[in-house]
Parts: sequence; structure tokens; C-alpha cells
Amino acid sequence: MLSFQQVTKRYGALTALDGVSLDIAPGEFFGLLGPNGAGKSTLMSIAAGLRPPTSGSVTLSGITMSANEASSRLSLGLVPQHIALYQELSAEQNLEIFGGLYGLQGKDLRARVHAALEAVQLADRRRDQVKTFSGGMQRRLNIVSALLHRPKVLLCDEPTVGVDPQSRNAIFEYLEQLNREGLSIIYSTHYMEEATRLCSRIGIIDHGKILALGSLEQLLTKLPFEEEIRFPAEAATGPLVERLRRGGEMVSDEETHRFRPRPDFPLSDFYRETESLALPARLFTVQRPTLEGLFLHLTGRKLRE
Amino acid sequence: MNVVLTLLRKDFALLARNRGALVLAFIVPMIVIYIVGLVFGLGRADSGPSGIPLAVVNQSDSPAAAKLVEALQAEKSFRLITTINNPDKTSRPLTEADLEPMIRDRKFSYAVVLPADLVSDSRLGLHLKVLSDPRNDIESQMVDGILEKTIFSNVPQLLGQSLQARARSFLGQPQYESFNRDLADNIARRFGGDADKIRQRIESGDFGLDRLGGSGTGSSASSSNSSGGTGDLFSRVLAVDRVQVVGKEVKSPAATRIIGGYAVMFLLFALSNSSSAFFEEKNTGIFQRVLSGPVSRGQLLWSRFLYGVLFGLMQLMALFFAGKVLYGVDVTAHFGPLIVVCLCVAGACTAFGMLLATVTKSAQAANSLATLLVITMSACGGAWFPVSFMPVFMQQVAKFTLVYWSIEGFNAVLWAGNGLGGMLPILGILVAFIAAAMGIAVWKFNRSSIFD
Repeated sequence: MLSFQQVTKRYGALTALDGVSLDIAPGEFFGLLGPNGAGKSTLMSIAAGLRPPTSGSVTLSGITMSANEASSRLSLGLVPQHIALYQELSAEQNLEIFGGLYGLQGKDLRARVHAALEAVQLADRRRDQVKTFSGGMQRRLNIVSALLHRPKVLLCDEPTVGVDPQSRNAIFEYLEQLNREGLSIIYSTHYMEEATRLCSRIGIIDHGKILALGSLEQLLTKLPFEEEIRFPAEAATGPLVERLRRGGEMVSDEETHRFRPRPDFPLSDFYRETESLALPARLFTVQRPTLEGLFLHLTGRKLRE
Repeated sequence: MNVVLTLLRKDFALLARNRGALVLAFIVPMIVIYIVGLVFGLGRADSGPSGIPLAVVNQSDSPAAAKLVEALQAEKSFRLITTINNPDKTSRPLTEADLEPMIRDRKFSYAVVLPADLVSDSRLGLHLKVLSDPRNDIESQMVDGILEKTIFSNVPQLLGQSLQARARSFLGQPQYESFNRDLADNIARRFGGDADKIRQRIESGDFGLDRLGGSGTGSSASSSNSSGGTGDLFSRVLAVDRVQVVGKEVKSPAATRIIGGYAVMFLLFALSNSSSAFFEEKNTGIFQRVLSGPVSRGQLLWSRFLYGVLFGLMQLMALFFAGKVLYGVDVTAHFGPLIVVCLCVAGACTAFGMLLATVTKSAQAANSLATLLVITMSACGGAWFPVSFMPVFMQQVAKFTLVYWSIEGFNAVLWAGNGLGGMLPILGILVAFIAAAMGIAVWKFNRSSIFD
């Protein structure tokens, strides 16, 4: 449905996107996971036709998205990272303006505005100025403002930045409902938990390149281990690090050692070594592989560094 | 104490980062002081107005009239115009018939006719004609004063000539010559000197009257008028026919003169501030939302231009109608042309705001630059004081300001009562400004990355 073919974007010497190819299927909830500056917003803005790629192309249902051709953007809705609303105007006025830009008018526009406000539980505040809304309410309004023209694809560029957990949950439920109704969603985030919860397929992006692509399960199989054993980096555990290193990958920082055993490494060897060093069991935790771990494995750094 | 010093250091660090505040605090006042200083002659040897165009038609063959023209020529406040260019690029002396049309065409606002009967043998005294377009009250009063000063400096000799002419007419040539010869002989006998030279001075009208009032040494018109002695005498013997060529029908001259300048200044401020909204929409992602829909950058920019023009039109009309209600400015009699001028002025001011918004990188930078330019243009362009009060080079600079041409447009309608045909050059300049400013704004807006 939405297809990126070898999309590259350069700003002078900086390459923001480097040959990104990606296909989004109808009804898919796709997550674009990466740290700040990875190229997520650039990819979103190119998808929205706001910037032209330096090379490559983006097509939606076969039509090339273009910064110069406004009609190519009719099937898209964009939820910007910022709360892109007129703060001095009411919720209703904002929606009427954004709906009007898509040619909606009269009864149809009013009906869609009413339905949108109902959907995000803002109908009773429709005449209030947006600036009087809480952050969560503004975020919800920010999302429905992109839906009035009933797009086929919704681009959400980190739509929950600065939102409290309760409001975030409400937004997730609303987006999941929209996706169940058939809307394709591309959701960019640097929160692993959001991508894990919402997305049926995830692309991990860093330095303008898609490093890994697939469902959560598919991505986690890319890790050369199934579990990770963590223990604190202190004097008593120092000898253990040396003894375990031959049985798998050891990643350490100032506070924690992470031991990722090879599949053929017998756990009985691990217990023997800890017993021989008289290390108590409370020092050790076993962690299932995560996207954070995958990102660390792929890039050598954490998602939020 | 350390806390206070830390907070103090913080304030100066913030100030150093705030270019807008620095511009408003230091650059804008300096420019205003400089311009006002130029107006009041500070730092200039030649204070007061300079280079005001003054047409002079000399129909008199009197040598004193020629001397009066020379005196006007020497007056630095005036730039004398005595000839007119023919279509074949040759020139000819101005005639009295040329003056009124040329004043209406804004070639100049003041003209002096020295008629053939400047010195007449049928009456005692002098006769002059002054034509004017007093659309700028301060300038007009200043020109009157300088004209009077210059004329009064030469009145004594002219008055002597007038006396001689009357005597010749009354006595007849033989008796007139005999009278002057006897008078010169008596003076030579009593006080010494060459009788022939004394007679020549008497016949040329040089009785030394200028030394009575001291006006010959260049005293101002006001001091001549208020001296109560010779000044009053000269005033009584000087007959000036004053003809106001333009603006005679204006009901409220003072208000009509000033309202345009202030209207355009406040419009510029209002529309320049709207560039902040431009940045606000950019920074809050509204541009992204709007442009991700079926909206082009051109539509975004031109819709804002249209808003600015309509807002400007409303503001200008509100100000002019306030002028009508409060001071009786005759707005309704010129409603059609006034609307057209207001549209062009609002368009030019909006284009100015759009240009600022697209060539600057932040709302703060746009606001600072706007304040700097609006105040400078208002001061230079004639919104605060007449352009002629500034040095000649500044008068040329004024013609490159939006304020100058906006005031010209308003005056053309409200003061001169011009129809659209008479305003085409002014409207053309305003429209050209709109085209140039919007051309650059569109080019910059289309090239700029508004999503960074």
C-alpha cells in the first residue's frame, strides 16, 4: 500500500536516510523504532509529502507522493510530533478548519467533527479553547484532527511525547481501535514498550538505515541468545565474568554485567561456577530478550543514548 | 552576594543571546536619535530644511527682481526651478501658466511669481504672487517664513525703487532728474562725498533703508515681523497674492495632513507582528499538518497575504472613519479612490511583513527587524516630520520607503482629491513593491526548509 523504494535524504554532508526500502501493507500497524536523530521524522515527513527525497520514491497505492502535488496526499493523515492545534480556538473550530482543508463542509463536516470529538471523549468540551485542555486531551485532539478526511494511512510521529501514562493508554486504545477498523498506521517512537504493545511489525532504524525489520518474535530471533542473565558489576562477581566469557557473550557497563549464553551452553555450568564462587542467587536475574537488547546488540548502544 | 552575582551573570548571559532585545535597546534608539538629530540640524552646519523645490517666474525687468531671484537661489532651503523641459528635451523658462498644473502634478509645492508690476509707478510698495500646495503644514509654514525672510532682506532696495518710480511718474522725467541731482548735490555739500555717485545710488533706490531694520543682514522672518518697526513697515508695503492651488476644499486640513502617516505606521506594526504568528504556526507543527493535506505552500502563503490585505484594509478604514468622526476628515467624498489606495497600502505593508517572515529565522528576529525598519521608515518617510527637513541624501532615501509612498497615496486622495488616474504613478510604485516583496517571499518560502 505505502511503499518506500531506496529512499535517501541528505542535508549537505549529513545523510538522514540512507536507501530505505519498506512496504506497509493495508491494515498494518507498523512501528518505526529508533533513538532521537535516527531518521524517523525525516522518513515520516517524506511519506507525508512534506519533503522530497534526495533519491528514491514513495508511493501510496501506486501514486507517487510528491511535495509539489497536493492531491497525492489526500489519502494520508499526519499526526505531528508537536501539538499542532490553534490554542486560542475551540476544539470544534480546530476540527472544522482542518476538515475544511480537505474540502469537507456543511452537514458532513459537522457530523464528522461531532463523531471525532465523541471518539476521543471531548464532545462535552467542544466549545472550550484548546489551551484550557490537559496535555492528554490536546494529544487526543491532535490525533483526531488528522482523521476527519478518513485517510487510508495514518502517520503518527511520536504522538505520545510528554503524555501521562493514563492518557497514553487511552491513546493506545483509540489507535488500536482505528487499526482494527482497517486503518493502516505507521507509528514512530523511541519507546520500546510502545512498539512492543502496538505494532504488528517493527522496523528498527538508526543513522538513517533500517537495521532490522519484522514482527517482534522475528526480530528477537535475530539475537544469538534466548535469555540474558544479569548480575551486578562488583568485586565479588569479577571472577565469574572471566569464567563465563567462554560460554557466550558478555556485555558490561559500570553497574551491570549481561551474560548472553550460547544456545549450546549448559546452564548447569553456570550454576557450578556461581556455587564455586559462593555467589548468592539473589544477585542474578534472568531476562527475556527485548527490543532494547536487540538494539543494543545491533548498534552497541542503548535506545535512549 | 554570590547569589546576586550569579543571577546578574545569568541576566547578562540571556541578554547576550537575545539579539532582538539588543536591537531594541541600542540600535533602534540610536537610529531614531540620528534621524531626529538630522531633522533638527544637530551635527550639521546648515540646520533647517534644505532643497525644497521652489519655482520662480520673474516677469519683472527690474534689477532688484533679479537680485531677489539671486537671493532665493542662495537660500539653501530652496532648490529653485526656473525652467521647464520641452518634449524635445530642450528647455524654456517657466511661465506663470505652467505653475498651477505643475503644482497639481507634484513637481513642486511652492512657486513665486515676481510680476511685471513688482515695482509699479502707480502705487507705493511691492507686489508678489505666491502659489502653494500646503499639504504639509509644518513645511508650508517653514517655507512661508523663509520666503518672507528672503524677500524682506531685499525689500528696502525694492522699496527705494518703488519710490523712484512713483517720483518719476509724478514729476515727469526732466523734473525727476533735476530733483535727484539737487538732492545729491545737497547731500554732498552737507555730508561730503561724490555727488554723481550719490545720485546714482538715489536713482537705483538705494537709500540705505535696509540698515534701519537690520533685516538686510539675514534676520528671520519672524523677527522681521515682530520688530514692530521696519518689519511692520515692510509688511504694509509688501502686497502678496497668495493662491492655494491644492487642498482648498479640504474640510479638516490639519487632521487630513497627519492621519495618513500615522495610519500606515500602525498598520506596518500590526502586520509585521503577524509574522510572529507565521513562526508560531511553523514551530507548533501546524504548517506540517496543513501542508500534509491537499494544500500547497503557495496557497498557504497567499492566503496569509490575503488575510493581511483584508485586515489592513479594515484597520485603515477604521482609522480614517475615526478621523471623520473625531476631526471631520472628509472620507466619504473620496471613498472609491481611498479604498483603492488603502488596498495597495495594505498589500504593500502585508508584503513587507511576509518578506520579514521569510528572510528571518525566528519570530524574535522578525520582530526586532520589523521594529527597526518600521521606526526607521516612519522617521525617514515623513510620518513624523516633513521629509524636506532632512538632508538632501536622506530625502532621496525617503523615496525608497514604503511609508513615503503610502503617505503620498493618502495625500493624493484626501488632500489633492485626485481620482484614480492621477494616482497611477503612486499606485504603480506600491504595486511594484508588493510584486517584488512577495516574489522574494514566495521564492524564499518555497526554498526554505520549514520543518527543521
